[in-house]
Amino acid sequence: MQHRMTALLMGLGSALVATSAMTQWAVYEQPTAADWAALAELPDFSGVWERGGGGGRGRGAAAGAPGAGRAAGAGAGRAAGGGGRGGASPTPEYAALRDQLRATPAPNQMANCLPPAMPGIMSQPYPMEFLITPGKVTIILEAFTQVRHIFTDGRELPEFPDPTFFGTSIGHWEGDTLVAESVGFNEFVTIGGIPHSDELRIIERISLLDPDTMVIETTFTDPLALTEPYTTSATFARHRDWTIAEYICEENNRNFVTSDGEEGIILDNPGGQPPPPN
Amino acid sequence: MRIRLAIVAIALGMSAGSAWAHHSFSVFNMQTEVSITGVVKEVQWTNPHIFIWVDVTGEDGAVVTWGLEGMSPNFLARRGWSRTTLEPGDRITVSLRPLISGDPGGMFISTTSPDGVVLSMGGGREGAGGQ
Repeated sequence: MQHRMTALLMGLGSALVATSAMTQWAVYEQPTAADWAALAELPDFSGVWERGGGGGRGRGAAAGAPGAGRAAGAGAGRAAGGGGRGGASPTPEYAALRDQLRATPAPNQMANCLPPAMPGIMSQPYPMEFLITPGKVTIILEAFTQVRHIFTDGRELPEFPDPTFFGTSIGHWEGDTLVAESVGFNEFVTIGGIPHSDELRIIERISLLDPDTMVIETTFTDPLALTEPYTTSATFARHRDWTIAEYICEENNRNFVTSDGEEGIILDNPGGQPPPPN
Repeated sequence: MRIRLAIVAIALGMSAGSAWAHHSFSVFNMQTEVSITGVVKEVQWTNPHIFIWVDVTGEDGAVVTWGLEGMSPNFLARRGWSRTTLEPGDRITVSLRPLISGDPGGMFISTTSPDGVVLSMGGGREGAGGQ
């Protein structure tokens, strides 16, 4: 009996330790009025953002972006090179893997409604919306109805993250720039066609170039796959009168790709749902 | 056919290729543009792409239904289209990229309304590839 009581107390003790360790994550605490008020000091990311703006669609010039801050760190300066058009520089081992991937590309599963992974999900021809709440920035992506969660509550990145399409993300504010850091990516993530190792990190520096233009500077670091960090940038235009629309890809998807990579379109059954491909 | 003037604007200078976000163009012959004339049978104002079904009567009197894939309703609604821009019964001539398979279908490029308004899915960079 005595032993059981001791064990129970020890168990309770561990639970208390675990609880206190977790409560350092502010997101698990009720935000205070001060937490909400503090958000007013952050730059205004409200509204809906679509790729383009800042001088045209596609890749915008990040050079000179206020708040970009040119973080100390090798390769950050490459952003000035115009959206990283030169391409990432793979190590010999990963150059071989890239060539292998090019020779036998995986079927484009997007035709079957699988969402694109990072970084492609951030450059879709559909808008996104940022929700800034205490301890977290949430990005609602219209394309494929996806969500990214960037925790700004001070937690650390997991040491052994599960590999996912968008990775696990934390963020902090450097002045008016949201700096998001992500790790833990699955095989659908490539660095411009170069496969990555478990050590891939993606840093996104998100700021306003002018009142209605957002710039996102994205830096890939992967000491196994890349000889140096690789940075791209893109601009987004704000549309205050837009709302994020529903995008249920499976609603009436008549496109498909087979496991052999053959793409097709289903024209049967007009007026109804397309039959599933075989 | 309820047409708003805003639609004229979308025919001009819109970069559309990138809007075909969720698949490549490999099923379409992007080097060829053909034109069909027929009567709208049905408009499916759905994601991930709208489909406009057009009944085309051949010289022999046989009716063939063409399936024409367009952009997403989300993309189009922000550029002047609505689900009633084209309606069943409308007689239209459509320019399109035909299916490589030869089946009666393709990628909707544009049509012109009886009063001369161009209804375009975008023009621009067709063939830029999916992604």
